[in-house]
Amino acid sequence: MSSDLRRDDAPCPYPDYTPARRELADLPNTGADAEGTERRVWEAVYEVEDPEMPVSVVDLGLIYGVEVREEVDDTDAPRTTAYVEMTLTYTGCPARDMLTSDVEAAAASVEGVDRAEVVLVYSPEWTIDLVTERGREALREFGLSVPDPEGHDA
Amino acid sequence: MAAPTYQRADLGELDGAAAEALRTLLFRLADDELVLGERYIEWQVHAPTLESDLAISNIAQDEFGHARLWYDLLEDFGDDEPALIWERDPGSFRHATLVELPTRQGDWGDTIVRGYLYDVAEQLRLEAVAESSYAPLRERVGKVQSEERYHREHAQNWLERLTDDEPGRARVQAALDRLFPYALTLFAPVDEATEAAIEEHGFRTASLADLREQFLDVVVPYLESLGLDVPEPDEVERPEAVGRDGQHTEHWDALFEDMTHTYRELGRTSTTKLMEDPE
Repeated sequence: MSSDLRRDDAPCPYPDYTPARRELADLPNTGADAEGTERRVWEAVYEVEDPEMPVSVVDLGLIYGVEVREEVDDTDAPRTTAYVEMTLTYTGCPARDMLTSDVEAAAASVEGVDRAEVVLVYSPEWTIDLVTERGREALREFGLSVPDPEGHDA
Repeated sequence: MAAPTYQRADLGELDGAAAEALRTLLFRLADDELVLGERYIEWQVHAPTLESDLAISNIAQDEFGHARLWYDLLEDFGDDEPALIWERDPGSFRHATLVELPTRQGDWGDTIVRGYLYDVAEQLRLEAVAESSYAPLRERVGKVQSEERYHREHAQNWLERLTDDEPGRARVQAALDRLFPYALTLFAPVDEATEAAIEEHGFRTASLADLREQFLDVVVPYLESLGLDVPEPDEVERPEAVGRDGQHTEHWDALFEDMTHTYRELGRTSTTKLMEDPE
């Protein structure tokens, strides 16, 4: 049952971007150390909010990393691609396409970036502990109580 | 132990048999979740209480989410979603026939028994790919496991309630008698050569026979503790169609028709998106 499934317009097989190996201790990542174009991508992505709550996807801890790479396209022309590693709060998230499209559009809008690609990652798995202090504040202001990482009510 | 690890970028270097083995393993995971989710949503607005309606709908949503994770990995071999689901030959689906059987009409216990048997098998098989040599697969396992835990809790809560009196227990027993032979199809091989390749390359770290053994060690004592009689596994008559080998019951074609009805009726050639891609 291999070749019978192939279609001419199928996506390019074997993508070569391998997400970095991340430990829970390195998260949440807010891009605090990023510089140059990567810094600007972090800032653009920061503007994307959760569709249900007025809180940035960065403050929700959903963005695991940003990497800007110089590549060549199919015609050997140089291009700059922003790869955004991102996770979802749960696997059945119905806003998945909306979120990934918004993040991709934000990253692609940055000066010096030709195209952006969201790479969905699920390891380490997201938990409420990855919400930043700013995110907790935004959620509290919105009327949601968020337990602090030690498990006590904030 | 220096087992090899494969990343997405290594897929092109796998030989044909190894790539096919990995694809088969992924199809099995994906197809089971998708088809079981389809059966669960038949309960929407029909479940016994509002809470159980929401719970089963939520479980269905999880199963679709998991199916998507595995179909995503299949896309890395060059197939898109229409090819993997909507325009696929229904005869090439690899789910076990357990998940395609219609729910016995109006029988909530039937769905609960199926969910329980499936969720235990799911837990064990996820453990068997948690150390998979294919990194993109194993990196998704933890997230799925943490969601599956709730499914087992849900099924067990209901089983304990349903078997609390004699009429309830009799219905659960009937469901168990009907579904148990099909549950064993979860451990049926696609074919021996493919199973051997899956193990040889470390895509899965336990054999189907081991998984079946572990499954029985969990479900038999638990179900017996509820006062149920579990059919003797080795004496169970094997269903004619086990699913894994491409043989399905007559119910699968009808379900596939239903599942893809809207896609065909609207003349779609791709699945719906809330937004166009930014490029």
